[in-house]
Amino acid sequence: MSGIGLNAATDEFRLRHRITFGTSRSLAYVSVLELGRVWERTLRRAHVPLKYSQGFNPRPRMNFAAPLPVGCGSEADLLDILMEEPWSSEGIARALQDVTPADLNVVSIAPVEDSAPALSEQLVEAEYKVWLGHVKEDSLQSAIDQFTASESVSLERRGRRHRGKSYNLRPLVKKLELIRDTPSPWVGLWMRVGARPGATGRPDEVLKALNFIDNPQRCFRTRLILEVSSGTL
Amino acid sequence: MQMPASHSHAGPGAAGLPGSPLAWERIEALLHRVQKPGRYVGGEFNTVHKPWDEVATRVCLAFPDLYDLGMSNFSLMVLYDILNRQPDILAHRAYLPAPDMIQEMRAAGLPLYALEDYYPVAAFDILAISTAYEQLFTNALELMDLSGIPIRREDRNESHPLVIGGGHGTFNPEPITEFFDLFVIGEAEDLILDLVDTVHQTHDLPRVEQLRLLASTPGLYVPQFYQPVYASTGELARIEPTEPSVPHEVLKRIVPVLPPTPIRQIVPNIEIVFNRAVVEIHRGCTRGCRFCQAGSITRPVRERSVEEIVDTAEAIIDATGYEELALLSLSSADYSHITDLIPQLRARFEGRHISTSLPSLRIDAFSVELAETLSEGRRSGFTFAPEAGSEELRYRINKNITTEELLQVATTVFERGWRVIKLYFMIGLPTETDADVEAIIDMTHQVRKIGNQVGARRTEVHVSVSTFIPKPHTSFQWEPLADAATIERRQSMLREGIRGRGLQLSWNPYMSSQLEALLARGDRRLNELVERAWHLGARFDAWDDWRNEDAWHRAIAELPGEGLQAQFDSPEAFLDFYLTRRRAEEETLPWDHLQSGVEKRFFLQDYRRSREGKLLVDCREQCHACGILQNYAELRTEEWACPVLV
Repeated sequence: MSGIGLNAATDEFRLRHRITFGTSRSLAYVSVLELGRVWERTLRRAHVPLKYSQGFNPRPRMNFAAPLPVGCGSEADLLDILMEEPWSSEGIARALQDVTPADLNVVSIAPVEDSAPALSEQLVEAEYKVWLGHVKEDSLQSAIDQFTASESVSLERRGRRHRGKSYNLRPLVKKLELIRDTPSPWVGLWMRVGARPGATGRPDEVLKALNFIDNPQRCFRTRLILEVSSGTL
Repeated sequence: MQMPASHSHAGPGAAGLPGSPLAWERIEALLHRVQKPGRYVGGEFNTVHKPWDEVATRVCLAFPDLYDLGMSNFSLMVLYDILNRQPDILAHRAYLPAPDMIQEMRAAGLPLYALEDYYPVAAFDILAISTAYEQLFTNALELMDLSGIPIRREDRNESHPLVIGGGHGTFNPEPITEFFDLFVIGEAEDLILDLVDTVHQTHDLPRVEQLRLLASTPGLYVPQFYQPVYASTGELARIEPTEPSVPHEVLKRIVPVLPPTPIRQIVPNIEIVFNRAVVEIHRGCTRGCRFCQAGSITRPVRERSVEEIVDTAEAIIDATGYEELALLSLSSADYSHITDLIPQLRARFEGRHISTSLPSLRIDAFSVELAETLSEGRRSGFTFAPEAGSEELRYRINKNITTEELLQVATTVFERGWRVIKLYFMIGLPTETDADVEAIIDMTHQVRKIGNQVGARRTEVHVSVSTFIPKPHTSFQWEPLADAATIERRQSMLREGIRGRGLQLSWNPYMSSQLEALLARGDRRLNELVERAWHLGARFDAWDDWRNEDAWHRAIAELPGEGLQAQFDSPEAFLDFYLTRRRAEEETLPWDHLQSGVEKRFFLQDYRRSREGKLLVDCREQCHACGILQNYAELRTEEWACPVLV
């Protein structure tokens, strides 16, 4: 199984499975639609029979927990897939060997209750790490201190539709800390942000608020936090 | 030396010397500042990675435009496959970054790199640049410069890669002969391994010696061994070899039998223009449209068997995971076994959610049937290329279809549920009058009316009108480009005539056609102009948003170089000479020494036939002695569509 983690129920034949995966380097620079396409093609190469939606333009039934911002890799993202016929998580893991792109890392696969709510509905918070270049630790620390001490941090909303409107980023940022062991010459920033629909904090927005918008070297999501009952068997 | 590092952790500033890869961290640091950074990072499935030091020759295959376009280039895909199958050769890919990334790379001192393992382009032994079409010429210079390679051949030495050009644009490479060491004329599949082998065997010789040896390989054109002679009136008198060992004329190379289509096609991670599997069904075209360069330079027509195509298609889908398959050819419906092929493909992919697309269909009921079998309910747009609005003009360009037939097919298309018909036309065709342009407008409205009467709700007609460019190696190669006043008047007629609900019109700015024609029809005196325009900022000449018209206007106003200075009093005289002048039948054309196998004699007969409004039937039915069978008599195989001569 070459390093792919599997829990006790992985030999059970099920229709729905949850893949925990990481992306790095090249795959940190794709959009969520593109990442969906990468997964779809990887699963087709693996001959994993995905279930398709009905209608004129049938699409495979796959759902991510949350889109990754372009420029951000991941250490533990989540994807639910629905199959045409029951497979075991083990079988899927085996089929994926040798057909995944170099920068896509399958961490684990587990079966999920068919009736469990969609991943995006269960997602509460997300954690990110950002490496910054051309920044000194103490200036980052004082920017963090200033941010966390504020009650409100107003930013312009993204997207053309919302031009001119602003929102308060501060309550979306649950934790914000300097990481001391980042490889030189970079300085690391760790954050936990809200990830509920309509109340999502983004790492690039946090950098904007801290005035380090031009400094990111590397960004990755380290954890997705789901509501306690996640439906995993 | 550092190995090709898929997970290198070298710090910033590391490497960057030829022979070692760029540190990922240097590239990464720029990516958050540019649009679509996924173009610059590689990591696609099915790319080939080999230890740099364990191969004899390293080839960089470059497409001098965006990744989004270059990734779909079939020729580079084929060469990547052929080269990487050899244990002692490595081939990587490079594309020209968009202007925002070019600017970031220049500011950071980062040279252009190949996407597989981030080796600098300048570190390769051979840099093969696609010159698929003329608007890539300034981009080829930009690509060399961004790689840190001197753009002029004379400023390079043995430490630089050998720079070779290939693709349809090399059928007249004369405007860029100062920048390339050699050009591949025709199909490279059989020749590329010989070429790489010769380069390896001769790598310690001076470059000129190396090129002298290469120049005797059939299909290779080494421009520095040829010298143009001009008449006092400015026309080319002749092009003569300066070395006894090089041929007077270079005949294009062909492969007698089509080699297999690559199976492990590279799967992009980001959206690109043609994001799908490709299987070539046949090469060449027998229709004989007089404006069409691809039709003549890709002759003879060679077909693949149904069995080969279906097996290959399945292997590609298995190896790539693509959800769509495109059948590649210049005219899909002309593939002899198309009625067998389509059901067999459908049967093979039954239940696997693979869609198949057939580009380049003819305008006939048969093509509609084919498209219908493939579309499985999703019927968005159906494309026709009548090329000219009036029957008479269609006959002159050898497009044998009556208006009645066309409207009949349009009726069927709308009846069967397609919502949009796209019509492709050209203006500025030889002998065209305003009445022919009115005919385009009439036809558009008739098709629109049919859509209203028999079609689904909200049917539309999209009309795309380009300007005719008289291309080398066609029956129209002597024809002039229509002047600005004529084209602009006809474009405004079209804008007036084609508007309203359910109609869409698009056209090319005249400047872009002028540029394309100039680069397509130029001689060696244009090298200085291309270089000057590039210095002034010309690149991305095919992009309406990025084309730097001012740079071209300024370069043309200067008439750079002795050749142009001596010959032309004014930019107007220059433009007339290259563009709007009808070339004399007895004139030596700048590309006459490069031969497509279709004889000039044939083009000349056909040029005259066009004047008489005479059609030439499809040459599968009757051989018109274009020259292919004489020139390649020894190579002929059963796969050729040429009729057996009696």
